[in-house]
Amino acid sequence: MANNIDIGIRAVCEFLGAASTPDRIQAGCNSENYLVLKDHEFEPAVSHLAANKFVLISLFCIEGFSDRAAHSLFYVFERRNGILVLVNDVNETTSSVASIFPSASWFERECRDGFGIEFDGAFDTRRLFLHESYPENFHPLKKSFKNAPLITKETINPVDEYQFRTVTGEGVYQVPVGPVHAGIIEPGHFRFSVIGEIIFNLEIRMFYKHRGIEKLSEGKSPHDCIRIAEAVSGDESVANATAFCLAVERISGISIPERAWYLRTIMLELERICSHLGDLAGMLVDVAFPLGASQFSVLREECFRQCDCQTGSRFQRGIICIGGLEKDIPGGTINDLLLFIRQLRKRCRIGLKIVLSTTSVIDRFATTGVIPGTLLRPLNITGPVARASGGKVDVRLDHPYGIYEKYVPKRQRLQDGDVLSRFTIKASEIMDSLDLIEQLIADIPAGDIQSEAQVQDGFALSLVESARGQNLCFVWIKDGAIERYKVRTASFCNWLAIEHAVQGNIIPDFPVINKSMNLSYAGTDL
Amino acid sequence: MNVDFILYIAINTLVVLAIAPLFVSMIKKVKAWTQGRSGPSVFQTYASLRKLLTKEVIYSPSSSRIMRITPLITIASILVAALFVPLIFVPEPVGGIGNIILFLYLLALARFFMALAGLDAGSSFGGMGSSREMSISAIIEPTTIIVFAALAFVFKTLNIFDMVSRMAPGLPAAPTLILISISLFIILIVETSRIPIDNPETHLELTMIHEGMILEQSGRNLALMELAAAVKLTVLMGLLINLIVPLGLATSLTLIGILIAVILFVIKGSILAGIIAIFESSMAKKRFFQLPSLFAMAFFFSTLIIIIEVFS
Repeated sequence: MANNIDIGIRAVCEFLGAASTPDRIQAGCNSENYLVLKDHEFEPAVSHLAANKFVLISLFCIEGFSDRAAHSLFYVFERRNGILVLVNDVNETTSSVASIFPSASWFERECRDGFGIEFDGAFDTRRLFLHESYPENFHPLKKSFKNAPLITKETINPVDEYQFRTVTGEGVYQVPVGPVHAGIIEPGHFRFSVIGEIIFNLEIRMFYKHRGIEKLSEGKSPHDCIRIAEAVSGDESVANATAFCLAVERISGISIPERAWYLRTIMLELERICSHLGDLAGMLVDVAFPLGASQFSVLREECFRQCDCQTGSRFQRGIICIGGLEKDIPGGTINDLLLFIRQLRKRCRIGLKIVLSTTSVIDRFATTGVIPGTLLRPLNITGPVARASGGKVDVRLDHPYGIYEKYVPKRQRLQDGDVLSRFTIKASEIMDSLDLIEQLIADIPAGDIQSEAQVQDGFALSLVESARGQNLCFVWIKDGAIERYKVRTASFCNWLAIEHAVQGNIIPDFPVINKSMNLSYAGTDL
Repeated sequence: MNVDFILYIAINTLVVLAIAPLFVSMIKKVKAWTQGRSGPSVFQTYASLRKLLTKEVIYSPSSSRIMRITPLITIASILVAALFVPLIFVPEPVGGIGNIILFLYLLALARFFMALAGLDAGSSFGGMGSSREMSISAIIEPTTIIVFAALAFVFKTLNIFDMVSRMAPGLPAAPTLILISISLFIILIVETSRIPIDNPETHLELTMIHEGMILEQSGRNLALMELAAAVKLTVLMGLLINLIVPLGLATSLTLIGILIAVILFVIKGSILAGIIAIFESSMAKKRFFQLPSLFAMAFFFSTLIIIIEVFS
């Protein structure tokens, strides 16, 4: 791993001059590196990192972190196994990096809404999560704003209405879809510009269910904040809770018992299986093949029930805690899981055999919704979506946490980037997770499941691979309470990929493309 | 018009209205079984229609008179078309009733108004549904004409009444019947918007064709539209059944004869409903632009029948 950190340090040396660097780089608690930049260093640093194929995986703002300025912007870069965080202290304005790192566009708009920071030269200055009905100059993440009920605008001036990209031309017309959809799904608006049935352009608008999670967590004790982390996105409960606990444990130097890590890993993989099974079923529903879909829906439901048996919660909530687990899972119950896993694998294979031998299904999946591999880095697309487009990204392999160093998952990778690749990748990952769980159950040691947890002040960044991809979590604890909790789920970045994936496809194929990417609305809108 | 024919009108219309919801439910039931579910009761469609009939009708403020008259025109033209296909009893044909070309265009009339109503409310989904329906019907129409032309060649008549009562000389051979049934089955699937053309059970507005057009309908009007769709399904099923297996069809008006005919029709219809359900379960919906390949199959088989009939 030391070798890989060098990539970051080497890059930093190159743009700062070798002499000044080593002492300026500050190692974080979780093997990430921080570098506080001076004003004039920011732009050369960013363009240097862009040239060296660093990926901007997150950008968030913290108020009151440094004495030098009101706000500190944390630019989190990743390259292979290295994480480099550039800290840029700003007061009210800074320059935008969105034209260098396209993934920064949403990040910057998010910081602008939350903290009122202006990004000079940004190509998109529309509001992001604060829709038109919120008052002007309202920035909820500022410390000066106290969490309280808010009076929103009753009427919206037509001038202030959200401006969608205008697409004009002969025969181009707009199809607005949502935010209220048929079926039980979350709200999101899709603005299609189509020529006949062919999608010419798609613009998405999210953030219809802002819950103020980041504000809510401020001032909470780390222990209470786990429940908030679990609520970020329902079917990523374990991943987000693990990411949060991991950050807190690293800050405080708590090492958790081995058995707890085994159980956590089993839960993480179970969560992945549930999510992927739901995706397989959903994709088949969307091409109207209920015979295949119902098999996977049934398996998913049984998987949820198994989770309930294991942990007392269908979404495995309320069990992960700082320092390990709230309660142990007895050996007998784990043996039941083993039997279930073996049965699940068999039935999953049967289902896949039926689906993959149905030509009409393959015909609908193949070549539909292609995400080109060239988009992965600029937009920071992660998870199965990236792996189906030839991406080599998996947090479990790139930044192993817990016992993933010992139990290395297979690196799944396909090149085509269409719905069929995503279906196949998810099916393979289910099989891998089943194998992994079986192996973990065989090797699970006895012992404690919770170690003494004395939470200390500090900050740390953690990465966890959820079913949807790379989930990032930043925690800053001050005086024993959460001062800043920032989550960036995989969906936040992956959403933008759908605008590219649907281009040139036909409107009736949109639902299956959308489902194949399985994006979380709640995980995007905190 | 004789008494027999007036009785025929009453009996045929009553039977089709009574049986149509049952066949719709049966397809759903068998589809549920293939998925390992128990599915809704076979009487569920009756209950849903009754519920819709008692609900209020809501019109979009941007809709015109088209929206208001469409449900009536649709059910009316479908019910008239239902008269063209004797389900249980074949009287002497009167006037143009039973003419296969007229039958075809009665279905087209209903579809035309449905498409207009889809556009009328100005919602994007209705417009998409209408545009798709019109594209499909433009492609399927030549195929339908060829299929019906093949029927006319085989049975040597243009009248459905004469076809089912086998009045014309020279009964068709079994291989011809098989080819006809394949063509008619495809027409049935297309006309009633089922998988692989359209998915009648979908909630995804973006993929809808038939459901998209009636998305803005509500209450009583929706009930009429749903009933019209069910009647259309039953009539086309009846056409297929009575052309291929006219067994049990009453030719004279006796109570016993009618009862036996009704029972036999329900049995034959249930079997066909099961076949439709299994056919639907065995495949996914086709990509929109690949639909013509399915129509081409019906076109091919019908052309084959015509060639056989002409040269044999």
